[in-house]
Amino acid sequence: MKKTILSLTLAAGLLTGCFAQTSPLPVELLMGNGRSWKGNLIRRDGDWIEFQTKTAVRPIRIGASTVKELKFKVDVDADKISKMMEARQFNRIITTLSKSIEPFSEYSDISSNLTKYNALLMELYHRTGKYDNSLAISEEIARDNRNPLLQAKAQTYQALSLIESGKSEDVRALFAEYGWQQETSKEASPEELYIKAKLLVLNGQYSQAMELVARIVAFNSQDPDWMQPAEMLCAEVYTELGMYDSAEEVCRQILILYKNTPEFDKAKKLKIKIEKLRAEKQVEESLMSEEV
Amino acid sequence: MFGFQSLRSSVCRGALIVAVLTVSSSYAQDYALMGISGVVGAAAAMLEQGNYSGAIPALEEVIRRTKELTSAQGRETLQNSRFQLARAHYQIGDTAAGRVLLKDYLKNEPHPEERMALRMIAQGHLEAQEWEEVATIAQQLLNMPQLAVDDRLTANLLLGQARFRQEAWVDCIEPLSFTAENSKSARTRQLTQIMIVRAMVESEQWRALFGWIPRLYRTDAKYDITLNLTLMRAGKALFDAGESDDYLNSLLLYRMVLPREELLEFSQERVDRLSASIAKDTQRGVKQIDIDDQQEELDSLKASMAILKELTPYEDEVAFRIGQIYAEVKRYWEGYVLFDSLYEKDRNSDVGEASVLQSVLILYELGESERAEKRVISYLNENPAGQYARSLLSMAMRDQMNKQNLEKVISLRQYIERIPPSNEDGELAVAADLHYVLAFGFFQNKQYELAGEQFSVIIDSFLDSSFLADSVYFRGITSMLQEKYEDAVEDFRLYQTNHNTGEQYAPAMFREAVCLFGLGEFEESETVFTKFINKHPDNILVSEAFSMRGDIEAAKDGNDNPDTLSIDEYDPHTLDRALEDYRKAIDKAYAPQQAAYAAFQAAKVYKLEAKWQDIIDLMDYYMELLESEADVAQAVFWIGQSQIEMGQVEDAVEAYLDAVERFGNEVGQEGVDKIVLELVKISEQHLSEEDLQSLAVKLSLKLDGIEGDENETLRLRLRVAIAHLEGEEAAAALGDELLADHQDLSITTPISLALMCNSAVMAGDTEQMGLLYTYFLENFEESEELWHAYRAKSFQLVFSEDTQGVLNSIDEVQSLFGIEPFMGWAQILKADTLYGLEKYQEAEEAYNMVMGVSDWRGALFAEAMYGMGRCRLALEDYEIAHSFFQRTYLLMKGYDDGIWAADGYLGAVDCLIRLDRYEDVVSTLEAMMEDPYVNTLPQIETARELKKKYRDA
Repeated sequence: MKKTILSLTLAAGLLTGCFAQTSPLPVELLMGNGRSWKGNLIRRDGDWIEFQTKTAVRPIRIGASTVKELKFKVDVDADKISKMMEARQFNRIITTLSKSIEPFSEYSDISSNLTKYNALLMELYHRTGKYDNSLAISEEIARDNRNPLLQAKAQTYQALSLIESGKSEDVRALFAEYGWQQETSKEASPEELYIKAKLLVLNGQYSQAMELVARIVAFNSQDPDWMQPAEMLCAEVYTELGMYDSAEEVCRQILILYKNTPEFDKAKKLKIKIEKLRAEKQVEESLMSEEV
Repeated sequence: MFGFQSLRSSVCRGALIVAVLTVSSSYAQDYALMGISGVVGAAAAMLEQGNYSGAIPALEEVIRRTKELTSAQGRETLQNSRFQLARAHYQIGDTAAGRVLLKDYLKNEPHPEERMALRMIAQGHLEAQEWEEVATIAQQLLNMPQLAVDDRLTANLLLGQARFRQEAWVDCIEPLSFTAENSKSARTRQLTQIMIVRAMVESEQWRALFGWIPRLYRTDAKYDITLNLTLMRAGKALFDAGESDDYLNSLLLYRMVLPREELLEFSQERVDRLSASIAKDTQRGVKQIDIDDQQEELDSLKASMAILKELTPYEDEVAFRIGQIYAEVKRYWEGYVLFDSLYEKDRNSDVGEASVLQSVLILYELGESERAEKRVISYLNENPAGQYARSLLSMAMRDQMNKQNLEKVISLRQYIERIPPSNEDGELAVAADLHYVLAFGFFQNKQYELAGEQFSVIIDSFLDSSFLADSVYFRGITSMLQEKYEDAVEDFRLYQTNHNTGEQYAPAMFREAVCLFGLGEFEESETVFTKFINKHPDNILVSEAFSMRGDIEAAKDGNDNPDTLSIDEYDPHTLDRALEDYRKAIDKAYAPQQAAYAAFQAAKVYKLEAKWQDIIDLMDYYMELLESEADVAQAVFWIGQSQIEMGQVEDAVEAYLDAVERFGNEVGQEGVDKIVLELVKISEQHLSEEDLQSLAVKLSLKLDGIEGDENETLRLRLRVAIAHLEGEEAAAALGDELLADHQDLSITTPISLALMCNSAVMAGDTEQMGLLYTYFLENFEESEELWHAYRAKSFQLVFSEDTQGVLNSIDEVQSLFGIEPFMGWAQILKADTLYGLEKYQEAEEAYNMVMGVSDWRGALFAEAMYGMGRCRLALEDYEIAHSFFQRTYLLMKGYDDGIWAADGYLGAVDCLIRLDRYEDVVSTLEAMMEDPYVNTLPQIETARELKKKYRDA
């Protein structure tokens, strides 16, 4: 850190009477040179962190940039989270998870094992329609290339959040950035198909969207991650196309296959919507036939 | 069987701990000489070393010595020894002996290891595949109070396995589910899940099964070969059952089946890992019992792989069936992408070909007909002999037919001709269908000859076709429309002979009569109409039959009586019979047009007999019968005409004005247009100047009284009526105005369109000529004013120098309107066009025809005479040419302000010059200059110059 910035930071600390005191956080420090230490993070001081091993008498100051990764001991009850997931208590999970990782927020600029929790938050924010929050996290993870699979997933959610927010210009820019504009190949992954289908829906190109999403369903039926959202999207797009029988059939299958899932809830709602649309259509048709 | 080995080893370990805790160690071998403690110690030591065979004599010695003891400690030692001896027998594989001991152990007290003993007995039965015993003991275990988790797990596993092996599919699910939910062993969880799925498939618990699917597919269990084969078998059985719900269940099962290569790849990796692990464990000296576990899994895996490898590749068939089910349950796009991929994968395989058919069917269902047709064409180009060539082509043709893209239907003919012939019944049926659709393509495109040819193909080559009968009938129709009445009659009679129960039997009889009428065979025609009327009194065509028979009667003009032998006998009642038929036609009409035709034909007959009041009565009857469907304007027109004839001009005018006001805003009421023109005619012929003014004022007041934008058609009709009353110039000016304002055509009717057509021709506005023609024809095809549209079209073609087009257009309009007084322009234009084509003889004939129509007398005669002169001049027949020109200026100088006469003079002069008769040239020019009809026209300058030139020649 430059001297002036350090001075300012110190001054700020003195003015408030003390440094921001937090409880020591158990952690394993993985350094750029491959060495690692176990101990506690005492506090964050700008570009520095104070770290103390279990045996050391006092903490040492380490430049944050020299740390390759932090492995925190996060107090998350996986079973509890899993049960809440089954109960679709997504907001509760967000609260619980956010609270659990909140103490580590000071260190969010350093790579850490918090990424997996953030990835979960990213998905949960998306599920609960908080696309801005999901987008913020996905952008963060998408920049981190340590885990290519997670990075790809984050890119997917980044695109989906933009699409759901109706930001078609931003989506186009993102597609250009990730090189996704090319024609969809026969071997395209389900996530690529899904994103592109969603974008087509955003543009009102329902038939084209339907063809892509149908490919997910037809060729990836054993994919537990993408089948459910893809089937739901199928039902929605069939509805948009006015193919109510088809949409209802997909809903019926979702209700059989995906009990206790968000898609189950969505399919139930969509079935009601379809009934309403069908009734409106019938009224419209009868009015037209009367006019004729 | 699974789970036994691992369970056995864990039981042994558990038992060992009991032994070590309860006895002390001893290593002595001569048990008879040893104290009891020593023997027990020796047994414990051997058990700890895994020397089970060695431990058996020691344990037997302990049992022998303690058998009779009654003290608590003695009983405890005895029971412990029994238990340990049983374990030892189990370990060396003598489970039968072990089970006997365990049963003794359980019969006696104390038996603290009761649950373990039961588990071991159950294992023994498991090994012997005695499933009922396994189940009984497992159930016994489960009934015990306060059962430990581990015991509960084992008991459920045993019970589940036993019931599964007994194929008690429903009963096994619950205990297996407990194991799958609670086991800490991933492999146990996976195997029990597979068993559950199998049990659910066998017991057809589809809904419960589908609840398991997402869980199963998050684990490697999905790669289990047996599971996949089970799902595929069940999917096929359900698919073959063919019920709606079965389709869905089949779909969901099929969707779970993984591709063979994927299964084999995963299994091979597992085989490699297991083989490596076994080799390593063997090298490390791991207990055989643990190695056996792995070996068992390895053997089972290899056996499954062998079965799978022997199977014919199933992926395409499964994908095809999934596609079929998707299509069946209306998930069309999912079906389409599957069929599309199968087709792209191998176009020439049976599945590939069937897939193209299915994909095209779906594309049409989805309304993606462009893509569908592209695929059809691509298939036909690549594979004209393909097994689905005809079916695909039929779909494409029918689609285009439904869309009325007739040119497109016809363009597909080339593919019919490329498909090689077949003798197979199904193929013949589709081939006939192709010709049938093509025939209707031609038919609706008004290419009747070609349509007839296609019907003939079916009649000649597809004798078993379901289209045969209809082909005969419609070939007759095509002949009729080409006025080949003899051929038509032949087909209609053929139909009646061969298909007397056919759908077209009655229409064929009716059309036969119509064609006989066309052939001029009126008596025969009347006979057939009568036969039709008698045989099919309620047929939809009977009204038309009455009308046409009425027409025949009306045309007899009293010279024929069909009821008598002599055809020339005078019959004064023909018109009465005609009228009777028209009345019946009105009464029997199914459509308003049928009644209207009869009513107005009857009016014409009454007109012949000057029965004006009868016309009025008939029109009243007609309007009362048809109510809102009556052509009221037309009826009022007839009433008005009758009233005029009866001298009730004022009444007629009032009736007309009333009709214009009532129906004038309805574009479709074309009778109003006739009334407007009739009003103009009345005004010219019957009204005094004062009455004419009064009529004009009434019309103007009505025009001014129109409010709002909803009566635009009425407003326009009134404007046309007023303009016509004011004269030709006003009418032409209105036409120009409407054209310049780009009048919204949707409110126009024939009378306004006629003015616009005329103005477009005058202005040379070819774009408007085309537009107006198209709109007129599409909306008022039956209008008497339609010739204006044809005139516009003909001149449009003149301007675009499409001479053949001009001749075709004229043929068309002449076939519709013949030589009506207003049709002279067509004949002149035809002659001019032929002249332009240098077909001078034909042109002269065409001009000459004008002279044959008395209604065209006047300016047209002059123009035609001059034209004939021009033709002869071009043929260098100067004498005759001269005589035509001479007649033009001598006989027709008064027409068109002398224009033709002036041209005639100059034409004659031209002939004389070519004949070197210069004196006559000069005298003719002098006569021209003295002729008051022509000597003020521009041509006179030419005459002066010529005179100057030839005066001194």
